[in-house]
Amino acid sequence: MRADAKPAALYHRVVVWLLFLILLLPLAATLLYSLSTSWSATILPDGLTIKWYLALWSDSRFLAAFGQSLLVCFGALLLAVLLILPLLFVVHYHFPRLDGLMNILILLPFAVPPVVSSVGLLQVYGSGPLAMVGTPWILIGCYFTVALPFMYRAITNNLQAINLRDLMDAAHLLGASTWKAAFLVVLPNLRNGLMVSLFLSFSFLFGEFVFANLLVGTRYETLQVYLNNMRNSSGHFNSALVISYFFFVLVFTWAATRLNKDKP
Amino acid sequence: MSYLSIRSLHKSYGDTSIFSDIHCEIERGEFVTLLGPSGCGKSTLLRCIAGLTEVDGGQILLDGQDLVPLAPQKRGIGMVFQSYALFPNMTVAQNVAFGLRMQKVGKDESAQRVDEVLRLVELQDFAGRYPHQLSGGQCQRVALARSLVTRPRLLLLDEPLSALDARIRKHLREQIRAIQQELGLTTVFVTHDQEEALTMSDRIFLMNTGKIVQSGDAESLYTAPVDAFAAGFIGNYNLLDADTASRLLLRPVNSRIAIRPEAIQLHDSGAIAAEVLGHSLLGNVIRYRVQANGVELLVDVLNRSERDLIGKGQCIGLSIDADAIREVA
Repeated sequence: MRADAKPAALYHRVVVWLLFLILLLPLAATLLYSLSTSWSATILPDGLTIKWYLALWSDSRFLAAFGQSLLVCFGALLLAVLLILPLLFVVHYHFPRLDGLMNILILLPFAVPPVVSSVGLLQVYGSGPLAMVGTPWILIGCYFTVALPFMYRAITNNLQAINLRDLMDAAHLLGASTWKAAFLVVLPNLRNGLMVSLFLSFSFLFGEFVFANLLVGTRYETLQVYLNNMRNSSGHFNSALVISYFFFVLVFTWAATRLNKDKP
Repeated sequence: MSYLSIRSLHKSYGDTSIFSDIHCEIERGEFVTLLGPSGCGKSTLLRCIAGLTEVDGGQILLDGQDLVPLAPQKRGIGMVFQSYALFPNMTVAQNVAFGLRMQKVGKDESAQRVDEVLRLVELQDFAGRYPHQLSGGQCQRVALARSLVTRPRLLLLDEPLSALDARIRKHLREQIRAIQQELGLTTVFVTHDQEEALTMSDRIFLMNTGKIVQSGDAESLYTAPVDAFAAGFIGNYNLLDADTASRLLLRPVNSRIAIRPEAIQLHDSGAIAAEVLGHSLLGNVIRYRVQANGVELLVDVLNRSERDLIGKGQCIGLSIDADAIREVA
C-alpha cells in the first residue's frame, strides 16, 4: 500500500463508522431501554432485566397481532406472486407493447398517498356487495397494490436480462409446451428478481401502519396497530416490542438471503 | 420429390410483405445456406420452417409431410440460435438432456445419449458447468449438442457464428460442417457472411427483399452472378453500367457488366493503359484502385513479394479475361 493512501483510507473508514453509529444509536438506545428496569434521571439505567420481553412474549394480544401481521403480509405476497408472474409473462411474451401501460399503472400506488387512497377505499368497500372494511381481506388486497410496483419492476429487469423469446423458442423446439417451458425454463431464471422483490415488499408491508390503522384498526390488529394502541403503556414494554420486531425482520431477511444464495 | 420442399410460401406482417412465393427444394443430407443482407427475410423463412413464426400461405413438406399445420414441438426440427438460448438455470448436461426429458426418454439412455453428443462437440469434460461459466464458442457448441441429441429430421442454424470472434468462428464452422457430414444431417444455415456461406455449403440460396435471387453451389454463385445485386453482394465485383463499360473496353456494350477484381491482370504495359490511384493491403491480397480510360476499377493481386508493389501514380497496362466479363441484369 502506498504511504499517502493510509490517511485517506482512515478518513473513509471514520466516515463510514460515524454514519453507521448515527444510524445505530437510536436502535441501541431502544435496545438498552428495553432491557432496563427503570431509566429516568440517570445517565445509565438502574439495572438490567428481561422482564419486558417476557411480558411482551406472553401477551396473547401481541402474539395474535404478530400472527395476523404475518398472515396479511404472506397473503398479499402470495396474491401478488400468483397474479404478477403470469401477468408479466403474458405482457413480455405476447404483448410487449403493454409494458408501457403497465409502467404507468404501477406508479399509481406511489402517486396517491396512503391517507388519500384509504379514504377512497373506505368509501368503496365500506358497504355494498364488497363490504370488506374491518376484515383482513381489504388489507391483503391493499397490500397487493403496494407490493405490485416493487415486484413488477424487479421481475421485469430480470426478464429483460434473460432473452425470454429465444429461451421459449428453444424450449418449444425441444418439445416443451408453453406451460412446461414457463415452469422449467423461465420461472427458475426469475428466482432472483422474485426473491429480492419479495423480501423488500415483506419488510415494507410488515411495518405498514397507515392502511392497517385506517382500514381495519383494532378489528384485526396488526403489529404496527398494536404498537400504536400500546403507546400509553410502559416505554420499556414498547421498546421491547420495537426491538423484537426489528430482530424478526433482520433474521428473516438474513435467513432468506442465505437460502437464496446457496442455490446456483 | 426432395426431402424438404418449400412451395409458394408467403409471409407478411400487416401490409409489409416479408417474402412471397418462395420455392425451394433441398435434398436429404444437404447443407444449404440462406445468404442475404439483414432484412431480406432469411431468418423469418427459417423461423417459418421451425414453426416459430406462422406462415400466411404455402406448404413446407418435410419427407412428404406438410409441416405448416404442426406445432413446433411436433416437427422434429432442431435449431441453434445466434444468442445460444441456453437455459441459464441448467448445467450443460441438463441443457442437452432437456429435449430427451420432454420426450420422456429413460434416465440411462438419456445419460448415454447426452454423453455421446457432448463427445461429438468435444465438451464431455464440461457437463457439470453452467452456461455462464463457458465461453461463447463453448456455449454455441452446447446449443448445437442440445439440438442434435433429439436426432432431429432437420437442423436449422440461425446465424450461429455471428456473435463469436473471428478465430473461434472459423474453427466452429469447420466443426459444424464436419458433424453435419458425419451425421448426414439435412441442414439449413442462415448467414449474412458470404465467406461462411461459400466455405460451408453444398448449395446457397441468395436472398434479397424476400426473394430467392439465385441458387447454386459456391462456385457458380461466385463466378456467375445473375444480377447486379448478386454481383454486389458476393465478392467485390466491379459493377459497370453499359456506358462506362463501353468506355473501358473501347467497344459497344449493351448491358451492365460485372468484373471480378482478381480477373484483371496488371502488366508493365498492355491492352488498356491505366494509372494506379492507390492500394490497400488485405493480407495475402493487395487491392489496387486503378483508373483506365476514365473508369475506376478495383484489381486484386496476390501479395507475392514487397518488390512487386506498384506505387501510386505509376502507369501500367491492364488485361481482362474475356470470360470473366459477366453481363448482369
